[in-house]
Amino acid sequence: MEKIIMLLPLGVPIVGTLLIADKKIIKDEYVTKFVSIVLFANFLLVLTSLFGNPLLQLHVLGVNDFLDVYFKIDQMTRVFALMASILWILTAFYAFEYMKHEQRTRQFYTFFTLTLAVILGVAYSGNLFTLYAYYELLTLCTLPLVIHTGTEEALSSGKKYMIYSFAGASLVILGMMILYSITGTMTFMPRGIFNDLSNYDQDLIRFSYIAMFLGFGVKAALVPFHSWLPNAMVAPTPVSALLHAVAVVKSGVFSLIRITYFVFGASVIKAVNVTQYLIPFVVITVVMGSLLALHQDHLKKRLAYSTISQLGYILLGILMLNPNGLVGAILHMINHAVIKITLFFSVGAISHMTHKKYIHQISGLGKKMPITFICFTIASVSLVGIPPTNGFVSKWFLGVGALNADNLFYIFILLLSAFFTAGYLFPISVTAFFVNGKQNAKQQNAKAHEIVVEASLEKEAIETSDHSEQMDHTGASIASETLDPSPFMLVPIVILTVIIVGLGIFPNVVINFLGGVIADAF
Amino acid sequence: MQILLNNYMIVGAIFLFGIGFMILLLHNNLIKKIIGMNIMDTSIFLLFVNLGYIKGKEAPIIIDGVMHASGYVNPIPTGLMLTGIVVAVSVTAFMLALTIKLYEKYGTIELDEIQNLRGD
Amino acid sequence: MQNLIKLIPLASIMILMLFAFVIPLLKKKKHVYKLTLVIMSLVTVINLIHVVYIALNGGYLFDVGHFPAPFGIVLRIGEVESGIGLLFCFINLMVLWYSYFSLEKEIKSNRIGFFHTLDFLLLASLLGIVFTYDIFNGFVFLEVSTLAACGIIVVKDKKANIKAAIKYLILSSLGSGLVLMGIAFVYSISGHLSMSYIHEALIQNAEGKHNLILISMILFTVGLGIKGAMFPLHIWLPDAHSSAPSPSSAILSALVIKAPIIFLIKVYYLVYGTTILSGTVVLDLVLFLGVLGMIFGSLFARSQKELKRMIAYSSVAQMGYIFFGIGLGNKLGLIMAIYHIIAHAVTKACLFLSAGSFIEQTGYKTIDEFKGIGKEMPVTLGIFTISSLSMIGIPIFPGFISKWNLAMASIESGKILLLFVLIASSLLNAVYYFPIIINGYFGEDNLVGKVFNSKIRPVRTLLPLIILSVVMVLAGLFSGFIIEFIGRGIYI
Repeated sequence: MEKIIMLLPLGVPIVGTLLIADKKIIKDEYVTKFVSIVLFANFLLVLTSLFGNPLLQLHVLGVNDFLDVYFKIDQMTRVFALMASILWILTAFYAFEYMKHEQRTRQFYTFFTLTLAVILGVAYSGNLFTLYAYYELLTLCTLPLVIHTGTEEALSSGKKYMIYSFAGASLVILGMMILYSITGTMTFMPRGIFNDLSNYDQDLIRFSYIAMFLGFGVKAALVPFHSWLPNAMVAPTPVSALLHAVAVVKSGVFSLIRITYFVFGASVIKAVNVTQYLIPFVVITVVMGSLLALHQDHLKKRLAYSTISQLGYILLGILMLNPNGLVGAILHMINHAVIKITLFFSVGAISHMTHKKYIHQISGLGKKMPITFICFTIASVSLVGIPPTNGFVSKWFLGVGALNADNLFYIFILLLSAFFTAGYLFPISVTAFFVNGKQNAKQQNAKAHEIVVEASLEKEAIETSDHSEQMDHTGASIASETLDPSPFMLVPIVILTVIIVGLGIFPNVVINFLGGVIADAF
Repeated sequence: MQILLNNYMIVGAIFLFGIGFMILLLHNNLIKKIIGMNIMDTSIFLLFVNLGYIKGKEAPIIIDGVMHASGYVNPIPTGLMLTGIVVAVSVTAFMLALTIKLYEKYGTIELDEIQNLRGD
Repeated sequence: MQNLIKLIPLASIMILMLFAFVIPLLKKKKHVYKLTLVIMSLVTVINLIHVVYIALNGGYLFDVGHFPAPFGIVLRIGEVESGIGLLFCFINLMVLWYSYFSLEKEIKSNRIGFFHTLDFLLLASLLGIVFTYDIFNGFVFLEVSTLAACGIIVVKDKKANIKAAIKYLILSSLGSGLVLMGIAFVYSISGHLSMSYIHEALIQNAEGKHNLILISMILFTVGLGIKGAMFPLHIWLPDAHSSAPSPSSAILSALVIKAPIIFLIKVYYLVYGTTILSGTVVLDLVLFLGVLGMIFGSLFARSQKELKRMIAYSSVAQMGYIFFGIGLGNKLGLIMAIYHIIAHAVTKACLFLSAGSFIEQTGYKTIDEFKGIGKEMPVTLGIFTISSLSMIGIPIFPGFISKWNLAMASIESGKILLLFVLIASSLLNAVYYFPIIINGYFGEDNLVGKVFNSKIRPVRTLLPLIILSVVMVLAGLFSGFIIEFIGRGIYI
């Protein structure tokens, strides 16, 4: 029974997926309801298996020492699994509204639910082999989400995503092969699997760690392996939000924490002195992500580059190899997830309601979509790291970690990048709230031209389909009072904003929870 | 040099093998290829039979009572080569049949011409 | 009872040979199908029993006709031989089952019986190659298998088939010539043909004959390398495998190129033995050619336009893995070479049969034309996908297991740089298999005008494919047992 409880969270979404995939079992109109039931049920199952179950580890299929599907629950699992399941539910509700006008929603929900099972698998993995298997599966089941629109552009982005991910996974497996050949085990242990360093070839350890770091770094958008991430923006917004906030990049980060603190162990990595080769990559990631974000006009692209830079922070925290740095990294993993998902939801709401995707188009929109933009601004403030928001807390810990590591250069990088973050996020809010589109003649011209185009398109639409009424409504209501989206979309955004502020004011809830991870890691 | 002369059968066999091999590899005409293959096979038969032959001894065919075993040559290689000849004959027959088919389809048995025909 | 079970290897060969010549006597096609399926199932079942017996009692030597070696012919049946024998029978059974539904669409109906005759002869000779303990016997079986294999290529009476068969036959007879020459050299040194006797004699007479031994080894390697599609000698393979009817392609790729490899391994370790072998460069040569095959096979596969040609080139790459394992020269490497023979046989059979269904249902040939096929034939493309995932090396699937253990073996032998080759090769695999799957299932443009399930085949015709893919997954899941089983009978 205990075993079943442990496996249920990993199995229920898969069963749900199989049911959704079949038209005969779940009718079109019930798909969204069914998805929400599955997600809620699974959330409860996750809670039970994480907190209410005495069984904490389970060998599902132990054929030999290495081919061993093994699940284990520790504090790190709890952090990641909870984060994923909560954000998944919010995303689902957002998606119900957003995906109404998209094609092939059934395919979307199928893979959306399946990905949850895989992410939980990543969280529950108890050894490197299981983690790797789920990591590969993650690529396979997020691919259909990335190329959901099915356009030529989407397919080529998907291809890029695929190639990058597989190249990364290959590096990981290279590292794994070497690791396994020198240690003979890949189980996650607190403080790592190496007992006595002198028995092992240090060059091989170093090489193995670098290979795995760079390999998992592909999913964590480490420069120079980052370029799949901005390309993956062709996906529908809920997907982008998930890719950025939880599913893909955070599983990369999670895996990095796993290998650094639970396979190699902080002391070993310090002893073999390997971080010096990796820090340059991370620093470049932080700075370059910010710089590239500065001159993006496409809203989602700007957020994508911002993600790259913020992930750099997390990786920096991981490589600091001290408790404060790790707390900062995990906190930022959670906080960035919440913040970035809010930002993406807001941007998605904008493009859903007004079809505007570029920053120069949104001037003056703040008054029409007040709630959306207020949430967006709060999230921006948080990402820059201004109290009393959660972004401040995680950056504070990262800063303390940098001080503990006796490295002022890290602090300089952190501050510089915070400055850049302000530089690329605040202009969006400023444009939306304070720039009046009509005052700017040039912009007006451009806009007028666009309106003509839009209007002609609308006419066609009215003539051809009944669907157009809705379109007409959105088009016409540019002039009307408010454009904030319907509650289904708005409520998740507001809840997330509340979480952002809440975690900023009461950070101890999470920090105490992370105590267990730190105890395991050091 | 002396070794080569003493083992003239083996040298001859390997020489023939080389000739057959080169014909099989380098000629484009299928019939010539088949001839090359046969030369190659024959050289191996020669080599094998030579291995079993001991000078001054008789073939192991009993006519006037049984001699001591040392009086006969080794029959096994000869026996093996009978099998080998059968195999070679069947392969040759099959190849000739295929060559006829090929000629029916392409109108030529020069492999380079067939290679060029693929373009159309 | 024991004696009866020990008859099984010989009996399988005899039954197949006998019924190969009964089939032409049958007038109705239906009877041909029924008879072949029944006989094939029977042979598979007795081989399964045999494997169980071997697993419990270990291997043995079997004197054909009660003449002991060195005069009589001996079969050597161990874990490896019985396992491979079962594999060959099983795959042949599945392929014949599949061909029951599709063969007539590819070849003329008056040739159906002919196909089955050749198939039985082919399988019998392949089993002979695997079981034999006598190198000349192996040579004869090798020749029979070559002729029969050419037969199942030309059974489809097209221009391309005859050309491919001629190419195959010429190169193959070159290979046989080299093997026979190798046998002549070995015989001249040792005076024996039975593997264990040659081995003893070689160990005793090795003094001063190292060059002769080396030459004979190279003759065997190149000769059997031609038949087993070792990299620069593979040129016959793509033509032959892509032009043949799909069931034949599956048999050729899954079985015909595997049997010579088993024979090569037996020659290496039973005839020469580790001591002689490790003193020469032959294994390094095999390793080097294997590496080249892994990389260039995939590169060639990438540039192919026809689907079946691409899969055929992928076979060259996969054979590279097998040679890689042999060339490493340690126990784990050899075990993994044999495991990969099993893994690749099952996977490639799946791939060729599902590609065959695409071609049969749509009439298309090139990869570009198969865009959007996933909507029309979702199940078949699903099977194709699973098999390609194994080729690429996604965990749990057999392809991953072989890759992983080959890596372990190369680390064990101190050749860490080879890991990069393994990784690069699996990436290349991903590069040419994934576009087919992605374009098959997704993409707006690709799916325009395609009707869901419009070209799907009835499930019963897909059953052999489904069974094959299930067996493939099981081979990955239970790789531990399989590897342990092979390890017991390995020759080192």
